[in-house]
Amino acid sequence: MLLAAAIVSMVVSGCSEGEKEKPTEQKVVQKPQQQETAQTLYIYNWTYYIPNQVLKDFEKEYNVKVVYDMYSSNEEMFTKLKAGGSGYDLVFPSGDYVSIMIKENMLEPIDKTKIPNFSNIDPEVLAKIHFDEGSQYSVPYMMGAAGVAVNTKFVKDFDKSWSIFNRDDLKGRMTMLDDMREVLGAALKSLGYSVNTKSLEELQKAKELVKQWKKNIVKFDAESFGKGFAAGEFWVVQGYQENIFLELDEAAKQDVAFFIPKEGSAMYMDNMVLLKTAKNKDLAYTFMNYIHEPKVFAQIADFLMLPSINVPARDLMKVKPNYEIADLARSEFKEDLGESLKDYNQIWQEIIVGE
Amino acid sequence: MRKNYGPIYVGPVAFWLCAFLSVPLLITLSYSFLAKGLYGGVEPHFSLAAYRSLFNTAVLKVLLNTIIIAVLSTALMVGLALPTAYYIARSSQKNLLLMLIIIPFWTNFLIRIYAWITILGSNGLLNSFLMGVGLTDGPIQFLYNRGAIILVIVYTTIPFAIFPLYSTIEKFDFSLIEAAMDLGASKTKALWKIMIPNIRSGITTAVLFTFIPTFGNFAVPKLVGGTSSWMLGNLIERELNITRNWPLASSMSVVLTFVTMLAVLFFMRSQNKKEL
Repeated sequence: MLLAAAIVSMVVSGCSEGEKEKPTEQKVVQKPQQQETAQTLYIYNWTYYIPNQVLKDFEKEYNVKVVYDMYSSNEEMFTKLKAGGSGYDLVFPSGDYVSIMIKENMLEPIDKTKIPNFSNIDPEVLAKIHFDEGSQYSVPYMMGAAGVAVNTKFVKDFDKSWSIFNRDDLKGRMTMLDDMREVLGAALKSLGYSVNTKSLEELQKAKELVKQWKKNIVKFDAESFGKGFAAGEFWVVQGYQENIFLELDEAAKQDVAFFIPKEGSAMYMDNMVLLKTAKNKDLAYTFMNYIHEPKVFAQIADFLMLPSINVPARDLMKVKPNYEIADLARSEFKEDLGESLKDYNQIWQEIIVGE
Repeated sequence: MRKNYGPIYVGPVAFWLCAFLSVPLLITLSYSFLAKGLYGGVEPHFSLAAYRSLFNTAVLKVLLNTIIIAVLSTALMVGLALPTAYYIARSSQKNLLLMLIIIPFWTNFLIRIYAWITILGSNGLLNSFLMGVGLTDGPIQFLYNRGAIILVIVYTTIPFAIFPLYSTIEKFDFSLIEAAMDLGASKTKALWKIMIPNIRSGITTAVLFTFIPTFGNFAVPKLVGGTSSWMLGNLIERELNITRNWPLASSMSVVLTFVTMLAVLFFMRSQNKKEL
């Protein structure tokens, strides 16, 4: 009995100690400015999508506090917001979810006069955006696309094309993503169609092409293919550069070629959006503008090894991204499919289950 | 005066089962009869759409594949566990042998699967060995097919067959075998005719303990399965997390639970009949 009481009191005191520690940490940050009521910006973003240093610099520069919560998929974010998980100011959905959130009336229109740095964004990129025509509700953050990584130790000659998955000689050494939009998008692009097509006929043709690829690949995998690629088990994989390069050490990177196939790919754009329920809209504007400062944006793009959509930031980047914006010229942003989603689901199910 | 403490003893377990088994099952069941929300979730009106979309060849194929894998793995596990359990029960080193079976369980389930990948992969130990001694020129694809799934399932689940069999064989009175042999039966015949019927409860438990988790498995096919080795668990996971059709995921779970229950009832009943 005594022992139990001792444990309980230990646990309780342990907890309260932990709680006490945090506020003192915050005070240290606020001290130099000697201000009592620092504003707080609540951000809900993808895992590790903004380097910590950027957040710290922002806190220091504007004497505010940033709370950064993370999600790992658009669906997760959307479900949480829909379930009433409010209190966030800024969220970073991908394009298709921007249009869903606009339809669901969750977003505040963006007043671009409060974001002078918006003019730094590449107009060619902006012209490709259809999920939020004219960027009325969203400020683009980062764009990218799944590509193909090739282990050049084992595969010397290859065409920078999706047709690499047609090659019998690489059978059993290739994987594609377990992602309907990416794989069907690759097939649709190879056939010269849009990745957002609503035509059943085009989708059927894409299905036949994917079925040919399926004979040569080991599996559809979005989780462990990076490890298999790093181990030399797989020689050609479809995937996002971050999933592939994070698994490789510097020496191994020498033997890897990453390309966006010439036919184009299904691209994503992650965007900053302001929630209707946001409490701190002015601070959110300040933050969006801060992100698109060339110096800051270059720092983020370096960290993510992604190409910069911010034009002046391109000259300030220190790390060469794994592909350039120009490589994405033929790629298209993924749009919300609306009613056609069920056709895609149906076709994808036939692909993954069928022999 | 003696008080009846029965309800109090049963209380915690009853609460546990209600809160964490019955209620979730009922929620799943009711979700399967609701309409699908546009972006996940359910709309609160009655719909049979989920059950209708179950009747397509894709789902039935996956169901068939799941049944094949579950039945084959269960047969293999019980077949391998019987002699193992028998040997342990007759050995003088029981505790040591049991310990050896438990030890791998101290390692995380996923790590054990990845270990198999490093053994069976194209650059794995087995292929390196085979190529090293010159048995094959190129690597053989051991992974990413149905055989790999069954192998890994058998490896990770077999203790659930060994332990119930061991505990019944251990209690079995082996003088009965001696008696049978005295009366002229061969050792094999004596084991088959005398021991097997007497440890039937252990066999039943072993079959149930291995069939049920295998039928609902989704991690193993995901990691070592290939392009055509989906199991029902993978389909449910996909409907729940990716296509976000919760009613369909629920209806599949209902089917999965239902098939498992049917199999269990069928099996237990055939066992009971034999005992009569």
